[in-house]
Amino acid sequence: MSIPYQHAFTLLGGTLLALGRGIRQGWTFRRHDFIRILADASARALLIVIVVNVLVGAIIAFVGAVQLTKFGAGIFVADLVAIAVSREMAAVITAVVMCGRTGAAFAAELAAMQTNEEIDAFSVLGLNPVDYLVLPRVLTLLLMLPLLYMFACVGGLLGGFAVSATLLDLAPSAYFERSVQALTYAHLGLGLCKSMAFGILVAQAACLYGLHAERHAAGVGQATTRAVVAGIVGVIALDAVFAVCADALRI
Amino acid sequence: MSMSLLSARDLRLQYGKTLVQEQISFDIEPGVIFAVMGGSGCGKSTLLKSLIGLLRPSAGQVLYTQQDYWASNEAMRNHLRADIGVLFQSAALWSSMSVLDNVMLPLEVQGSLSAAEREARALEALAWVDMAHARDRLPADLSGGMKKRVGLARAIVARPHLLFLDEPSAGLDPISSFKLDQLILDIRSRTGAAIVMVTHELPSIYALADDGIFLDADSKRPIAQGKPTTIRDTVKHPTVRAFMHRQEIEST
Repeated sequence: MSIPYQHAFTLLGGTLLALGRGIRQGWTFRRHDFIRILADASARALLIVIVVNVLVGAIIAFVGAVQLTKFGAGIFVADLVAIAVSREMAAVITAVVMCGRTGAAFAAELAAMQTNEEIDAFSVLGLNPVDYLVLPRVLTLLLMLPLLYMFACVGGLLGGFAVSATLLDLAPSAYFERSVQALTYAHLGLGLCKSMAFGILVAQAACLYGLHAERHAAGVGQATTRAVVAGIVGVIALDAVFAVCADALRI
Repeated sequence: MSMSLLSARDLRLQYGKTLVQEQISFDIEPGVIFAVMGGSGCGKSTLLKSLIGLLRPSAGQVLYTQQDYWASNEAMRNHLRADIGVLFQSAALWSSMSVLDNVMLPLEVQGSLSAAEREARALEALAWVDMAHARDRLPADLSGGMKKRVGLARAIVARPHLLFLDEPSAGLDPISSFKLDQLILDIRSRTGAAIVMVTHELPSIYALADDGIFLDADSKRPIAQGKPTTIRDTVKHPTVRAFMHRQEIEST
């Protein structure tokens, strides 16, 4: 099942138009459905996001501590962890986790609805599937990924601190002082912007493959797999674009 | 002669470059039950999709009360679609909504009734199909026959003049299938709606249909048209005879 790239642009354009219609004329999707999707992509995803980011922060600190202590620069592990987590890892890792968790769930749900003719039933009523099904999912990840990113930052910093405190003979106050100095608004702002972009990308990939799923049981599995693969590859590619742009803009 | 509620004019249906059916023309009068017949894979459901606005025919016209659906703008299409109800083959109940919410949504979309009126109308439709007791259950908790009945309630709740039923008794046991047939007749007599029924269930066809069309998978065009019992008794085409008499096709 390959989807022509035009479909991706059509869906993105349709989502932007649906967003405009929603802002001007009010949202057509059901509030109950939006709350259900929002709850699943927020509080229920929090634990896994924090756990993974604590581990990633710990790994960065471990690698940094081993290398930097050779040069007597152990204290700079705090800078390394703070910058790497806030600028890159918290946003990317959270997006990857959410792609595997929530993106897969979105794709599977929409693909099952396609197989079950539920989307046809919406169309016959004159309800646009983009307004009714895609928009609440895009809004959910657009709102929730930045929020989860902030928790991920805290988790990553704590993971880094735990390893540094164990491996390096550092005073906690010195570590925190260096971390706070390294954590600039530019790094945090860039991370937040990335999170929002990743949220849109993951939701779009999930909805694209879900809505274009083949109408049989295997089609649901294929749509889910492809949505996750496309989402993760897309997140990493988009992160590379951000890196180049941020460098060009000297952020 | 009264004005046709639905007409097809020389429809040609394709999936990409693959021809499914062509040369399909018929008229459906108010209150008529019209059967779209044929073997599996002959294009019955594809024809239904083009009639309800889900698949654009590659040629020909679909006319709702003489208004060309596919040549109309979006606002007119929405207006025309407001007067149809569809029971899908899988019932297609929205899985995240309760039975009552499923039946109320067509009324919500029309937006002409208050919340209390919508609920009363939805409960009335559920009572017609004997499913009012399941109002708060989710579709996943219902049996196949119950889903079909709720799907029928959703299709009729906005009192459409045209009802499309895609394989209404597929997958049901003979008793449930018979009950559903009686329900369809009951709904026709209560609402006066014309009903287009896609099916290959012979008992349902003979019990319900006033008119019909027989689609042939080999020649990819209709090979018989008229009242099903008349087709059964008069048409000599071997495929039609085999289907209508439930026999093997005679080798020549």
